[in-house]
Amino acid sequence: MSSVSAGASRSTLQRFLGGYGQEIVVLLSIVALFIVVGFVNPRFLSDTNINSIFAGNAYIAIAAIGMSMIIIAGHIDVSVGAMIGVIATIAGTLAVAGYPVWIAWSVPILFSIVVSAGTGALVAYTRIPSIVVTLGMLSILKGGLISATDGAWISNMPPEFMIAQMRPFGIPSAVYFMVALTILAALFMRYTDFGRAIYAVGGNMEAARAAGINPERSVIGVFALHGLFTGVAGILFATQLQVIQSTVPPNLELTVITASVIGGVSILGGTGTVIGSTLAAILFACIGSALIFLNVSAYWLRAVLGLLILATVLADMARRRRAQ
Amino acid sequence: MKKMTLGAILGLALMSGSALAASAWTGGDDLPTSPLACDGTAGASAAMPYDGGSPTNPPDRKGKKITVVDIPKLIGIGYFNATTKGILDAAAELGNVDAKTDGPTKANIDEQITFIDNYITSGVDGILFAANDPVAIAPVLKKALEKGINVVGYDANATPDARQWFVNQAQFNGIAKAMVDNMAAEIGEEGSFAIVTSTFTTPNQARWIAEMGAYAAACHPKMKWLETVEAQEDNNLSFNQATTLINKYGDELKGIFGMTSVATPASAEAVTQANKCGTIAVVGLATPNAMKPYVEKGCVKSVVLWNPVDLGYAAMHVLRAVADGTLVPGATSVKAGKLGDLQIINGSEILLGAPYVFTKDNIGQFDF
Repeated sequence: MSSVSAGASRSTLQRFLGGYGQEIVVLLSIVALFIVVGFVNPRFLSDTNINSIFAGNAYIAIAAIGMSMIIIAGHIDVSVGAMIGVIATIAGTLAVAGYPVWIAWSVPILFSIVVSAGTGALVAYTRIPSIVVTLGMLSILKGGLISATDGAWISNMPPEFMIAQMRPFGIPSAVYFMVALTILAALFMRYTDFGRAIYAVGGNMEAARAAGINPERSVIGVFALHGLFTGVAGILFATQLQVIQSTVPPNLELTVITASVIGGVSILGGTGTVIGSTLAAILFACIGSALIFLNVSAYWLRAVLGLLILATVLADMARRRRAQ
Repeated sequence: MKKMTLGAILGLALMSGSALAASAWTGGDDLPTSPLACDGTAGASAAMPYDGGSPTNPPDRKGKKITVVDIPKLIGIGYFNATTKGILDAAAELGNVDAKTDGPTKANIDEQITFIDNYITSGVDGILFAANDPVAIAPVLKKALEKGINVVGYDANATPDARQWFVNQAQFNGIAKAMVDNMAAEIGEEGSFAIVTSTFTTPNQARWIAEMGAYAAACHPKMKWLETVEAQEDNNLSFNQATTLINKYGDELKGIFGMTSVATPASAEAVTQANKCGTIAVVGLATPNAMKPYVEKGCVKSVVLWNPVDLGYAAMHVLRAVADGTLVPGATSVKAGKLGDLQIINGSEILLGAPYVFTKDNIGQFDF
């Protein structure tokens, strides 16, 4: 009896490890990083530093949740960084113009959802690869932003608009958003029909269709959801500092996509979790901070990220080959 | 064996890299520096022959009323509104100049060329410009010289032979001295500080940092440089980097230098959000508008730049002096009204003077 239950629990553990392999690797990396850097300079472990790491990068984790869904569905969105810049500018402009803060927060998010759903419709019905469509969006958003703002920065935003600077119970509000949205998205992806449809469409579109899923509608839906997460990320990005730069944050889309991939989302679609991408975004933030604490040039951050991507993709390919 | 060789080479390369980095403040370039004297006396600049252009058969304009058009990079922004104010102030003071500003509403070199061309055709005595592109603007300026028009640049230069003189708003060693002196005044001669820059290879920032290192070594030798971090020109990254510096060094960090107009306000924001106003000083290059909230709250005491009103004022005086024939090639200084005698450097450039420090008392007067 006892041997059977031991066997069963081991297989549960193995299944758990198999299902969350990459997430566990990333989590252990974060823990290892904290131990090593904390050993070199204990100030790394101070609550202010941990708060800064999380608060300053939570928007990346939130954007990576939506990006993970997109990639799981077999697509990609390279315009996410530009979109975050546009959302920030719209929100800041509304706030400065004197609109109530809930309008300044919600209108840009709605804008993001609508534009992203439109992108999704283009991808779903015209069958143009999403990388091409979103590359187009990237140019439109980037160019539009510069023309509309003429390079002027937005400042003097009302204090009640600055949601990312609020600290309920001493913890930056961005952290609450990151944790809550990650959990909600993880439950959604696992337990709802739509969530499972996203995996199915990304795994094999025709098989999904045969199983009664409408792939076009799923793609539009997942892009709209991605727009929601991008919108929230954009608002947090906009309210972090006293000024909003009118330029698109450089390389943000790469950071977001990298978070998804290192978090274990297969770039081929069909597998991965949003928990992994959030953990990976935290890992980058820790690496970025750790490089300064260890006196390592920031140039290494890009190199380290590149190595992580290669290692992750190779591991993913090895896993797939073994599964076959 | 091959692997060992490779390892040895790699190891050596890494070590030599760190030795190189340890020789100066990180982020500075390797070009020779020319720190100013600690008391601010003008540095001896190597005499260079005049390399500017000259107008072809200009009419005698000495003392006569002249019309001058100013064509900056673009119009309608605070910065060039300020230079225009200086130009008009000087013109009113001189009494014999009819000056106005016109130009594109976007910093576009093609439009700027068209504007200059039209004013050459309509006939003016003098052209002031701030070039959107030093090379592309040269042909149309040479055309103006050929028509006998006096041409003087400010803010952004053209190739020297396409204009007569250029008013240089700030030299690297002058900015460096102002930055380090203000930091020393705020954090003391033995304070420790860090630098937030764009990238280690951005030319202007690298030059400033190298000059700051050289000047500090000579005039504030006990100040302690901790490290330089890169933050591109990205607001959020600058904020994160400055915050990490604050967390890393704790009480040891007394000051942060912001090397870009993005890094300086972001560093001030990081200090504000860390509740370190008054204990960590921020000194940096930035435009007044971005810094007003921090300066007015007293969190930042000195913002280093130049005064664009003075820049326009000096450019107008230089143009008048050229038209009058009082400023000729080979001169070592030029009179510029209330600014006094301005030094001539690099052959055909006029140095505006020491940089301008924006403080709580004067920052409200500027809008750019």
